[in-house]
Amino acid sequence: MKNIVIKLLASMMLFACVFSVNAMASEHESSVQKLSAHQEETYQSKPFSQMITGFLKSTGIVALVHPRADELSATGKPMSDFHKGLGRVIMILVTFLLFWLAIAKGFEPLLLLPIAFGGLLANIPIADIAGPHGFLGVIYQAGLSNELFPIIIFMGVGAMTDFGPLLSNPKTALLGGAAQFGIFGTLVGAVVLAHYGFVDFTLKQASAISIIGGADGPTSIFIATKLSPELLGAIAVASYSYMAMVPIIQPPIMRALTTDKERKMRMSTLRHVSRLEKLVFPVLVLMLAILVLPESTPLIGAFMFGNFLKESGVVERLNDTLQNSLINITTIFLGLGVGSKLAADQFLVPETLFIMILGVIAFAVGTAAGVLMAKFMNLFPGHKINPLIGSAGVSAVPMAARVSNKVGMEYDRTNMLLMHAMGPNVAGVIGSAVAAGVLISLFQ
Amino acid sequence: METNLVMEGIKFMFLGMGTVFSFLVIMIFVINIMSLIIHKYFPEPHVADETASGGSTQKDNKKIVAAITAAIAHHRQG
Repeated sequence: MKNIVIKLLASMMLFACVFSVNAMASEHESSVQKLSAHQEETYQSKPFSQMITGFLKSTGIVALVHPRADELSATGKPMSDFHKGLGRVIMILVTFLLFWLAIAKGFEPLLLLPIAFGGLLANIPIADIAGPHGFLGVIYQAGLSNELFPIIIFMGVGAMTDFGPLLSNPKTALLGGAAQFGIFGTLVGAVVLAHYGFVDFTLKQASAISIIGGADGPTSIFIATKLSPELLGAIAVASYSYMAMVPIIQPPIMRALTTDKERKMRMSTLRHVSRLEKLVFPVLVLMLAILVLPESTPLIGAFMFGNFLKESGVVERLNDTLQNSLINITTIFLGLGVGSKLAADQFLVPETLFIMILGVIAFAVGTAAGVLMAKFMNLFPGHKINPLIGSAGVSAVPMAARVSNKVGMEYDRTNMLLMHAMGPNVAGVIGSAVAAGVLISLFQ
Repeated sequence: METNLVMEGIKFMFLGMGTVFSFLVIMIFVINIMSLIIHKYFPEPHVADETASGGSTQKDNKKIVAAITAAIAHHRQG
C-alpha cells in the first residue's frame, strides 16, 4: 500500500517536471504500468507536448470548428459537418433566445426554461449528453419514449382542473369541440402540402403534426411518440412555444372575428355546482370514453383520476402531491427530455420549418373555429355566449381562458369572462384527448 | 394514389370532428341529466339544513366564511 502511494506521488512529480519529460518518460511508463491492470488498459503515457495537443483537440472550440469525422448523433447516425459545427452554434443561440423569451417576456417559463436548457446541453459537442448514455438520453428513454411523463402531467392537470364552470354551463363544451377543428384542418393542410410535393409527410406524420392544434402539450407528446417519434422534438417545441405564445397569436384573430358589441357582451352568472356533481362528473366522462372511444382512455383516464382524487376531498395529501411535487418533478424531466430533441441534427431540418408553420396555422384555425362556433350558437335561443370565450376552446389551460378574459376587459373593464372561459377551456382538454383517441384508433 | 392522400385527410377530418362533437354532445346531455338527478334526489345538505334548524356555531362559521369569500369576490370584480 505504502509502496503504491509513493509511486503515485512519484508519478505526479513526473507530470510536474515538464522539461525532463523525454528523459524520464520510459521510467515513468514502467511505474504507471505497475499501478493497476485497469489503468494500464485505458491510459498510456505520452510526452507532454502530445498531451497538450491531444487536450487541445478535445476542446469545444476545435470540435465546433473542425468537427470529428467519427462523431455520431444521439440516435447513432452519422451527421453532416454543418450539424456538428455551425448548426450547434445556431441551436445554442436559439436556446439563448428561448431563455430570453422565458425570463424577460414570461413565456411559459416553467416549461420553456427546462426545454431550452435541455436544448443547450444537447448541443454540446463530444459530451453526447443527449445520447443513449448521457443523462438527457436516459431521461428521454425513461419517460418520453414510453409516453409516461405526459400521462403523469395529465394527472396533475386533472387535479388542478375545476370542472365547475363547465358543469354550470355545459353547452360551452361545444366551443371546446369546435376548436379541435384546428387539429383536423391542419391535418388536411399538411396532407395537401405533401400532395403538392413541398414536403414529404406521411399520413401518420401529418396526424402527429396536426395535434399541435389541440394546444395541449402532453397530448401532443403522447401522439407524436405513438405516431411518428422522429418528429417529436419539433412537434413538442412547436406545441409548447405556441402555447406560450397564445397571448400573442389569439387576440388579433379574436378581434378580427368579433364586433365591438359582441366583445362587450355580458354573460349570465354561473349557477352553483354541488360537490356531488363535481365528484360524479369525472367518472361519468370516463365511462363515456370507455363506451365510445377506448383509445382515448389513457389520457382521459389519467386526467379524470387526478380530478377524482381532488373532488373526493378525502385524499388531500395525494391531491397535493399530484398538483405540486409530482407535476413539478415531471415537468423538469419532461422539459429536459424534450430539450434533448433540440439537437441540431434533429431540429435544423426542413421539416421543422413546415411543422412550425403548420403549428401556428393549427392554433389560428382552432381559435377562429371556437370564436365562430360561439357566434353560431348565439343564433339559437338560450343564454347568449360572448364569442371571446370561444377562443378558449383550444385547450392551453388556463392561458387561453386568461386571454379571453384579458381581451374582454380591454373593451369593458368590469366584464369578467375568466370563469365563463374556463368551461370551454377544460372541454377543450377533453376534446383534444378525444381527437387524439380518434387519430390513434385510425392507425390501429 | 396521391389524390388518395388528400381524400384520406378529408375523411379523417370528418370522422374526427364528428367523433369529437358527438362525444361532447353526449357529454352535455349526460351532464344535464346528472345535474337534474342530483338536484332532485341528492340536494346539497347545507341548503336543506338551512331551513330546518337555526344552525350551530360551526354552520355560522361557514356562513361567515362564505360571506367573506363573496365580499372578496365582489370587491375584486368591482
